[in-house]
Amino acid sequence: MQFLENSGRYLPLLLQGVGITIALTLAALVISTLLGLVWALMRYSGIAPLVFVSKAIVNTVRGIPILVQLFYIYFVLPEFGIDLSAFQAGALGLGLAYSCYMAENFRAGLEAIDKGQIEAAQSIGMKWSLMMRRVILPQAIRTVLPPYGNTMIMLLKDTSQASVITVAELTMRGKLVASSTFDNMTVYTLVALLYLALSVPLVILASYLERRFGAR
Amino acid sequence: MIQLDNVHKKFGNLEVLKGIDGEIRQGEVVCLIGASGSGKSTLLRCINGLESYEEGQITIDGKLVDRKDPSIRALRTSVTMVFQRFNLFPHRTALENVTEGPIYVKGEARREAEEHGRELLDRMGLGAKAETYPTSLSGGQQQRVAIARALAMRPKAILFDEPTSALDPELVGEVLGAMRDLANDGMTMLVVTHEMAFAREVGDRVLFMDGGLIVEEGPAERVLTDPQEDRTRDFLRRVLNK
Repeated sequence: MQFLENSGRYLPLLLQGVGITIALTLAALVISTLLGLVWALMRYSGIAPLVFVSKAIVNTVRGIPILVQLFYIYFVLPEFGIDLSAFQAGALGLGLAYSCYMAENFRAGLEAIDKGQIEAAQSIGMKWSLMMRRVILPQAIRTVLPPYGNTMIMLLKDTSQASVITVAELTMRGKLVASSTFDNMTVYTLVALLYLALSVPLVILASYLERRFGAR
Repeated sequence: MIQLDNVHKKFGNLEVLKGIDGEIRQGEVVCLIGASGSGKSTLLRCINGLESYEEGQITIDGKLVDRKDPSIRALRTSVTMVFQRFNLFPHRTALENVTEGPIYVKGEARREAEEHGRELLDRMGLGAKAETYPTSLSGGQQQRVAIARALAMRPKAILFDEPTSALDPELVGEVLGAMRDLANDGMTMLVVTHEMAFAREVGDRVLFMDGGLIVEEGPAERVLTDPQEDRTRDFLRRVLNK
């Protein structure tokens, strides 16, 4: 009973954080998907300078903790005249970090495609961009979707790291409420349940996408 | 129509084509035979620009085949290719496989492309399979869809790279039959094949390749029944005694 009563009091505060967590997840998801696709296509192109740049970016970014990247973007970039709000820095940092995981997923999907598909596309006169759009990507998406769904959920949870650069997302709000009420059990239980509840739509989205693109 | 002048091709240190000369004329069916590793498929792939070649030149109606040049795409629509492993697009139906090139490469109107596509599938005996996905088709049916796909570009010639080698024996006949019909309609064809009976019956000319060179060439009947070169004789003896 006590739990429900207290929950009623904390929930409005925490829900504000949920809004920011959702916005941050979506922003970082869009950034990471687009950038990840760019890195993967650069690598797949086989053009030496593009392959090199793509590898360099993925291996560098992947090798630095997300937390450190966020600190860097939020605290160091302003010294170069790039001032971002905490939310922008969080979205950019998470988007960039996750673009590398995305890129490796996408690359796996692209490389799983039989080389005969490329030759068949070429043999009817397709240029590279048309071949990617009509032949390669629609097939790659099937292999890529299951790990993509997994990455979305990881990203949702990793938005909690943005709390260290003052983004007032769910974890940050939880910490504030907990430290002002000392009701750690109720607050963190709620926070955990809210994350769990947020992941459910992503699971549904992932399985919808798999049905949508996986069907023949 | 297709002109080969002193074509050389290397994979690393291995020279697979050692100076190929030849010509495929309009309306001709030329069969390319020889042991595996003799360079037949490589030659075919060079003509389509799927492989580069280091020396000599290949021209199609006077236009140079250069896989690095954007002009290669126009050439590929005029000389299309049928592969050993069909290489149909698995995420598209038989009809979509056939109309993909006309609609997206040549910019034909969808309705016309589909009409033409259905005609071609009909001609391949697959009118009822237009909406079927490749995974639900037998190998022979898939290869006939692939032939329809190659025809849909309205090419001047078609290259066949061992079109029946990946098929179960009982399915070989239907694909060869479709190819025979094409030949009778006057299509220019260059066919890499191990089907000696087909080469003899449908081929106008046979080129025998060995060790990266064309060792013997001539009218199909003559080369296959009365070869002049020892290497051709050896090869035919081995193939026909199998």
